[in-house]
Amino acid sequence: MAASILCRRTAVLFDVTILNSKIKFLPAAVQQIAHYNPRPLWLNIKNPYIPDKSNEKTPDWQKTDRYDRKLFGRYGQASGVDPAQLWPSHAQLEEMIAEEREWHPPLQVMLENIAAKEKERTAKRTEREKIIAANMAKMPKMIADWKKQKQETKQKQKEEKVRRERLLAEATERFGHSVDPRSVKFKEMVAEIEKEEKKKRKIMKRKKRDEDAGLSPAAAESSQ
Amino acid sequence: MSAKKITGGKTIDIVKNLPRINLANLRPNPGSTKNETRRGHGMHGGNKSGRGHTGERQRGNRPRLGFEGGQTPFYLVIPKYGYNANHSRRPQYPPLSLRKLQYLIDLGRIDTTQPIDLTQLVNSRGVAIQPLKRDYGVQLVDEGADIFCAKVNLEVQVASEKAIAAIERNGGVITTSYYDPRSLQVLIKPVPFFISGQPIPKRMLPGEDLLPYYTDANHRGYLADLDQVQAARLALAKKYGYSLPDITKDELFEMLAQRKDARQIFFGLSPGWVVNMEDKKILKPTDEKVLQYYGS
Repeated sequence: MAASILCRRTAVLFDVTILNSKIKFLPAAVQQIAHYNPRPLWLNIKNPYIPDKSNEKTPDWQKTDRYDRKLFGRYGQASGVDPAQLWPSHAQLEEMIAEEREWHPPLQVMLENIAAKEKERTAKRTEREKIIAANMAKMPKMIADWKKQKQETKQKQKEEKVRRERLLAEATERFGHSVDPRSVKFKEMVAEIEKEEKKKRKIMKRKKRDEDAGLSPAAAESSQ
Repeated sequence: MSAKKITGGKTIDIVKNLPRINLANLRPNPGSTKNETRRGHGMHGGNKSGRGHTGERQRGNRPRLGFEGGQTPFYLVIPKYGYNANHSRRPQYPPLSLRKLQYLIDLGRIDTTQPIDLTQLVNSRGVAIQPLKRDYGVQLVDEGADIFCAKVNLEVQVASEKAIAAIERNGGVITTSYYDPRSLQVLIKPVPFFISGQPIPKRMLPGEDLLPYYTDANHRGYLADLDQVQAARLALAKKYGYSLPDITKDELFEMLAQRKDARQIFFGLSPGWVVNMEDKKILKPTDEKVLQYYGS
């Protein structure tokens, strides 16, 4: 009961029938439309205050163009403001145009700037990608080289260790007791051994050369 | 005689005869509310009221989060990556979900027979925009995209792809457009602006950072080419698997086809015009220079 009364009241308030007759295509779901209900104006429209510009006591801010515009906006023709005053003067327009020229470039210019920036960015990127690709192509060889070098160093270290042990054993054998590898005695011994080895190598070399020289004719003969 | 069985018995009769629920007969459930304890009264009046003895704790003037009593705080000591760089100056777009939009439409707070722009959304109290807090408009998010069923001509500032699809699936039109802070203030509160008696300013173009968004047809930007927009509409329909309704044959085609000029703030009002609320008049400039400035 109460509901039906309420519904009637809202229907009167919103005047659905008129609305529906005006706009034929109101969606079925929407029964009523609550239009914007602005707050009442806080202004005293009936008895407006229009400052007297010739009076000295009127504050300066009430004599400005801005205030005149405000008066016109509030009270309309009753304010006595010339509507031509509402728009900026030619001098102000010049300023506005200059400001816009400085701070707001036209659409075309902005689009060109964006395209140029994008182009620069892609160029930078492709260049970097090229460098990376070139370096990556070198990569397998560099890795192989590095591995080989590492192995060689390891091998050398191993050989060095073996040689040192052999020398120490020889020194122990020669002197009958273990010798400090930093001592003069040991160093002399090492030098001596090296000299001998050098001599041996020389002899071996000569022998080999002789053998090669002696063998080659024999080999030639045997092959025939 | 077949007796009709009514479930609920007497209760359903009572409920049927009760008046409609409204604000006047709503009250909290019994026992759901509890009076707040009033400190400093009764037995413990004049004591510390449970706040301890002196200092920031008792007086409730604790310093801000991360403050270390004047020593350089930790969050400034450690150098960090710029995820939050410039956060205080980034444009903000408060969200408007499709669910909320549908709610506003269902309640009749928004009129779908007219194009919907920020003025309508703010007037219906659907969103609150604060240009001084670096709000640049609303973003339409896709929450409630599956329940959205209204045909609208909507203008927002940012829209997600799914939200665009939801609007267009129902035969609506969506545009994303940019408003500089000054135009935005005019758009969301037209009456205070008209009362100031100033000519309607012209809308400025977006900066170089936002221009690509608004020239892109995929975002339905207002600076995009209309043919490209149509192609993008078809492509989106294909992507989401719905058939795009032909709006040219629609009863509301005239309304759906309405579009603002790139320099225009209000539908039907050009920049440079003065709207006088008191006289109910629109004043148009005649000076050539003024016309040239506002026309460009």
